[in-house]
Amino acid sequence: MRLTRAGSRNRWKARRDGIQKVTGELKYLSDMSFPNMLYGTVLRSEYAFAKINSIDTSEAEKLPGVSAVLTSKDIPGLNGFGIVIQDQPVFCEDTVRYVGDAIAAVAAETQEIAEKAAALIKVEYTPLQPITDPEVSLLAKTPKLHENGNLLHNAFYKQGADVEEAFANCACIVEEVYYTPRQMHAYMETEGGVAVPHEDGLTLYAPTQHGFKDQLQLSRILNMPESDIRVISSPIGGSFGGKDELNIQPFICLLARATGKPVKIHQSRRTSVKAGLKRHPMKITMKTGADKDGNLLAHKVRILADTGAYATLGPAVLDFAVEHSTGPYRIKHVEVEGYSVYTNNGVAGEFRGFGGNQVTFALESQIEKLAEMLNISSTALRRKNLRKTADPGPVNQQIVPTAGAEQVLDEILKSPILQDKPPNNESQPFILKGKGYSITMHGGGLGYGRSDPSGARLSLNEKGKLEISFGFEECGQGLLSTIEMIMTESFACSADDVEITIGDTAKVPHSGSSTASRATNMVWTGINKMKGSWCDKVYSFVSQQSGVPLEVLKTGHGGIWEYQENGNSALVMTYKEVADKISELPVVTASYHFPTTPESIDGGHFLYSFAGAAAEVEIDALTGRVYVSKLDHAIAAGPVVNPMGYLGQIEGGGSMALGFTLMEDAVMDNGKYMTENFDSYLIPTILDIPKSTNVSAIEELEDGDEYGPRGVGEIGTVAVAPAIVAAIHDATGHWVNKLPICPEEIMEFAFTKISKENQNGWLGGDKG
Amino acid sequence: MKEQLQAGKTIRFNVNGSSVDLSVPATYRLVDILRKELNLTGTKISCEVGRCGACSVILNGKLVNSCLVMAYQLEDAVVQTIESVSADALHPIQEAFLQGGALQCGYCTPGMIMALKSLLERESQPTKEEVLQGLSGNLCRCTGYEGILRAVDILANKAE
Ligand code: FES
Ligand code: FES
Repeated sequence: MRLTRAGSRNRWKARRDGIQKVTGELKYLSDMSFPNMLYGTVLRSEYAFAKINSIDTSEAEKLPGVSAVLTSKDIPGLNGFGIVIQDQPVFCEDTVRYVGDAIAAVAAETQEIAEKAAALIKVEYTPLQPITDPEVSLLAKTPKLHENGNLLHNAFYKQGADVEEAFANCACIVEEVYYTPRQMHAYMETEGGVAVPHEDGLTLYAPTQHGFKDQLQLSRILNMPESDIRVISSPIGGSFGGKDELNIQPFICLLARATGKPVKIHQSRRTSVKAGLKRHPMKITMKTGADKDGNLLAHKVRILADTGAYATLGPAVLDFAVEHSTGPYRIKHVEVEGYSVYTNNGVAGEFRGFGGNQVTFALESQIEKLAEMLNISSTALRRKNLRKTADPGPVNQQIVPTAGAEQVLDEILKSPILQDKPPNNESQPFILKGKGYSITMHGGGLGYGRSDPSGARLSLNEKGKLEISFGFEECGQGLLSTIEMIMTESFACSADDVEITIGDTAKVPHSGSSTASRATNMVWTGINKMKGSWCDKVYSFVSQQSGVPLEVLKTGHGGIWEYQENGNSALVMTYKEVADKISELPVVTASYHFPTTPESIDGGHFLYSFAGAAAEVEIDALTGRVYVSKLDHAIAAGPVVNPMGYLGQIEGGGSMALGFTLMEDAVMDNGKYMTENFDSYLIPTILDIPKSTNVSAIEELEDGDEYGPRGVGEIGTVAVAPAIVAAIHDATGHWVNKLPICPEEIMEFAFTKISKENQNGWLGGDKG
Repeated sequence: MKEQLQAGKTIRFNVNGSSVDLSVPATYRLVDILRKELNLTGTKISCEVGRCGACSVILNGKLVNSCLVMAYQLEDAVVQTIESVSADALHPIQEAFLQGGALQCGYCTPGMIMALKSLLERESQPTKEEVLQGLSGNLCRCTGYEGILRAVDILANKAE
């Protein structure tokens, strides 16, 4: 089904938070201010790698208007954070490991005074040669960045017999090395927030994808009970994985505790670039072999991920990449090894697609190249090896049966982009056109072995609203509307009957992080779990009051209705009347876990979504610039709950992936960022997007599938790069192995191709 | 800072129809005046180098990046921010943004609306090319701009 505004009819609904956003009324947490508020700033490292000999804050403290200057000795609790591994210091004591490392923080009456004070802090360093190449980092003689060495995590996966032996039986083998960039999340709202102290603790207003995890981590740092820290975490001005880890929260909380006043930090873009997370750059060596009939026999993969100075979610990202390196294909003999390595580069962490984007680029490129070598179509090669509905998952684990792979392949092949080769325009002889596509499979939730619980609460509140609460956050993805729509459809009520509470640890149940495309699915599950018992409570009260038999009562617009088959239903009691009269307001809670595979394979997933992407490119052979003129998506992720949100996620994800492929790279030189702001780090503008983008949603699930809609936050980003790269190959005959693509490289091949085609033509051909 | 404040000057200008007198350093940025001094936080701040358009406002009838405008340039100026756009009811652009799905996190939205408003004030029937040019200074990381183009279509009554 092509997803459009018109086709979605009345399910196309303006966002619940839309009016506040279009009028500018909405206060993001970084917009807030409080009486007597101080401004904070953080002194960050001058070096990518250095020993700290001494820190002298005395001059800074003396500056009028300064209220506090804090360093590592002022931390009451743990000097470390990280969702899984707390190896990132709040303030460095004796070593700095990247240019974003924090050394001290200042609170002052104005931003200017705070910055001036920070500049007065004297830090004596002994600079060290930064370790910036992950290969070098792994060598035995390289200095250790952390106690346990420079290897953060390794992961292996093996299937079948000896892979080398299997290669010996292959008719064709493709072996390549792929490189992917350090992509920046580039959320428009940089990290910011305010910590407000009060008698029994503090309230933190700061965007984060997981308020409860922040609360836990801050309680360790501040040495304060979790219950004394209230985290208000929505709305968020974009995150894409980048605000799941703590960023400014520890500093403002420590400063607020030290000064007894509200403290705000709103990080500048430059600081955000320096200190913030990026997508893991990966070097992927892939060797794939097939027999002469196109059966994939052997697949050997080595993944080297640059996690930078600290762990963050590096291990999980690597596990995800290892798991997804066979994608939706069944390959007999497989050997994958992955290494996540510490360096003095910026910190890499969670980012939309979670390691899947990198390996999918490599894998799908391998499939195309192998098909070319075998002289068959890549579609035939894919079909021959595609997973079937009941096949196990990529690491041979039990998964929920799904025909997604075949569905997206069938659907994307229908894209008009792939029908005929776009005709060349005679008046533009230097423009080469090409088309290509690719497919992917993407796991939802955190995966086996990772605690991934969720919770929900449904009540009737005293205002007579169906109040639904989750610990998820509105990061822009449209979660509020998704919750609203699942509620109104489940209860046949109106949007006005629903009150949604999210993003405040004082008010919501633990639902886990708004990450890993899990929230939509967990919302749906929660509401379904609670609906029955909540209705039972309400119906029995209404029936008692009204005498109307239980069996004919139904929730509806405004209240509880007596349902009649002839259609003459009548309102029995409004929700407000129920709320006013009932002795105890009905509350139902649920706790559950994201569905996981029973196989004990760390990080192995159970619920998958699928995507296909088709791209048409126009390449200017004179400049090497690639323009993606059309981009289509086919997505299989179960029923579409919120068409506007779904479409927006895929369109937005597509453009983010376009950036990943064509232009985005946070370039580092010797551990320093060369691209510090949007003047040198380029993300797509409205002029860079395709002339047309179509999204088709495949909603069918297998019979008996009880898991409902899957999230689509990530899936739209995964298959785009290899589709564009295949289209570039179609146009130029050249395969790109390194992203973002480099115009110089394209220019060379495009120009050669044109010259050849015009051997006897006007273009410098030798006419003798 | 003290020294700067001493060097500060008193400026008078008009924001959203009200006159404002402020004593600020001559190089204080308009975006800070709006957000910090006047609590008009609808104007967003993101890159501070004139590249993202999150801080777009209309100054004396022209679209500007308020992160690049300084206090001394404001004498007698007339500034319109997003807060002025829907004084009574939603502006048709805002309505179209809601209907088109032109926003997600919403952080780029005020700037994007100001840019579109400024374009439509100059040119009531812009061509597609003019729309693309007019909005090319405003970055959006969430929507991939497709929803924004749907909003433009709705405004032009060419909805699918
Ligand atoms: S903040 Fe002014 S253009 Fe980006
Ligand atoms: S809606 Fe988030 S940046 Fe545009």
